[in-house]
Amino acid sequence: MENVLEVKDLKISFKTFFGEVEAVRGISFKVGKEETIAIVGESGCGKSVTASGIMQLLPMPPAFFKGGEIIFNGENLLNKKEKEMQAIRGNKISMVFQDPMTSLNPTMKIGKQIVEGLVKHHKMSAEDAHKKAIEMLELVAVPQPGKRINQYPHEFSGGMRQRVMIALAMVCNPQLLIADEPTTALDVTVQAQILELMKKLQEQLEMSIILITHDLGIVADMSDRVIVMYAGQIVETGLTEEIFASPKHPYTRKLLASVPRLDMNKDEPLYSIDGTPPDLYIPPKGCSFYDRCTEAMKICKDHVPDLNEHNDTHLSRCWLNHPMAQKVYSMDGGEK
Amino acid sequence: MTEPLISARNIKKYFDVGGGQLKAVDGISFDIYPKETFGLVGESGCGKSTAGRTIVRLYEPTGGELIFNGKNIYKLSRKEMQVVRRDFQIVFQDPYASLNPRMTVEDIVAEPLDIHQMYKTREERSERVIELLRLVGLGDEHVLRFPHEFSGGQRQRIGIARALALNPKFIVCDEPISALDVSIQAQVVNLLKDLQDRLGLTYMFIAHDLSMVRYISDRVGVMYLGHMMELAKSEELYANPLHPYTKALLSAIPIPDPGIQRNRRRIMLEGDVPSPINPKEGCRFVDRCSYAIDRCRKETPAFVEKGTNHFAACHII
Repeated sequence: MENVLEVKDLKISFKTFFGEVEAVRGISFKVGKEETIAIVGESGCGKSVTASGIMQLLPMPPAFFKGGEIIFNGENLLNKKEKEMQAIRGNKISMVFQDPMTSLNPTMKIGKQIVEGLVKHHKMSAEDAHKKAIEMLELVAVPQPGKRINQYPHEFSGGMRQRVMIALAMVCNPQLLIADEPTTALDVTVQAQILELMKKLQEQLEMSIILITHDLGIVADMSDRVIVMYAGQIVETGLTEEIFASPKHPYTRKLLASVPRLDMNKDEPLYSIDGTPPDLYIPPKGCSFYDRCTEAMKICKDHVPDLNEHNDTHLSRCWLNHPMAQKVYSMDGGEK
Repeated sequence: MTEPLISARNIKKYFDVGGGQLKAVDGISFDIYPKETFGLVGESGCGKSTAGRTIVRLYEPTGGELIFNGKNIYKLSRKEMQVVRRDFQIVFQDPYASLNPRMTVEDIVAEPLDIHQMYKTREERSERVIELLRLVGLGDEHVLRFPHEFSGGQRQRIGIARALALNPKFIVCDEPISALDVSIQAQVVNLLKDLQDRLGLTYMFIAHDLSMVRYISDRVGVMYLGHMMELAKSEELYANPLHPYTKALLSAIPIPDPGIQRNRRRIMLEGDVPSPINPKEGCRFVDRCSYAIDRCRKETPAFVEKGTNHFAACHII
């Protein structure tokens, strides 16, 4: 499959008063054409920083790229000047943000915000832009688009605002859409509508999606492949079916087990992962999940495991899955 | 049958706004029995948080009665109310906003004790604070720290410790877990369940996460635009929902299993929750309901028993 985006060993850090926070610590992944990739993980695991990093929307300083490459259509985005990035941002790569309440400009009419990108990128005339804005609102199923384009964001409900955000992101027919928790602020019934809409538009416009979420239900619904992040690293990646059917990393297993399900037994306590993710001021020397892992061994404390291949698509970062590990798998505290 | 701890009768809370009256809670009635958890679900803007706050009388009700210990607490004077308040506590949604950033954990947890003068000496006060912190899984090393030094889950524990300070009988949990990560949510829910067993608490659990509500609640009420739509035992409600709104709400929950989720038929609701300002006569759900008939627009359906202990407000059931 043709790759739209390839991220190679990306490292992003923040300089703060207390020292350097290593938010993203060397992640690599590819996004194929018309593919949906889900990035999941707890807050603070670096998923949003990765997304904003691809778009180069992070405030610099304090943020800086410590290393790696972001290859989009064969070109490394990290070598681009700001001016060149502006031609890509919103045009070839678009982003939908989590909070539809704060990510639209409250002083600008909806219609103008939607076509702002088009007017800028494609030098469109005012009349054409007006038509295009109505067309886009129709596309995302906002009722009465002719009237709605002349309204301000505060006149829209949360779900409608998120539709406007999607229209705004789609207007230049991007090759890649980055959706950062697009439905977290919405109710389940509206969430279902927005997800259906995204699927439909993906088919129509042939784009790839990077979906960032912490809701594994949405992942099961939307994505082709899943990346599980923890403390700034990829701990497991695989096809959606592989991740749900045979999770290899203890963190993925625990994450799946702690999702509330409609069929769970009420008399048993909920499965919870004790403790909290590590502080990335001083990233742990060994496996970042060591402190919370119930299967941790001696080696996990001081040595970071590599990503081990289970097959072409399924990889996990755990010593238990190391090719040499089978022999000592059952031995408690075994050392390799 | 045991006596209910709390009986809410036709509770109303209206807010005066520019264009008329916003009927946030418009006549809801239910009982909550001792040591049970009563879940309240619905979309944002349906009035569930207002209902919770009106019940503990943080909002002055527009109408209705709340019977607690045989007394209508809405009739009590300010002074009498203060005594009753010891039995009623609330845990708020946002653990970042509900703790004063300039107070230490000790002062936050001890504030209810200060107000109600529940101790004689300073030693007694700090002993009680440490006891409470241990109860929620924190320790004495946390006493002198400030809220910003804690994670979301730990802050919610501090909020719970504060709510427990006066040995209440009834706690309203207003979306206590929705600001937390999945793995931390489970910790807090397990803690709440454990405390309920140990201290014999009664909860009203408000949330929009339906799977979590099913897990923690004995009975669940579904609200929509200020009205109660359906109320039943939680297993019954989830296995056999009667109201079209409940059905749609349940089918919208994404199931974390690609095999099931992708082949499931979902009931898609059109549009959003309409405005609760000056609502029209008739069923509140009528504009989004695919079963609506003429009668639904003219007449508000009564909230009546449709099966054993299974109540719903709908003309077509």
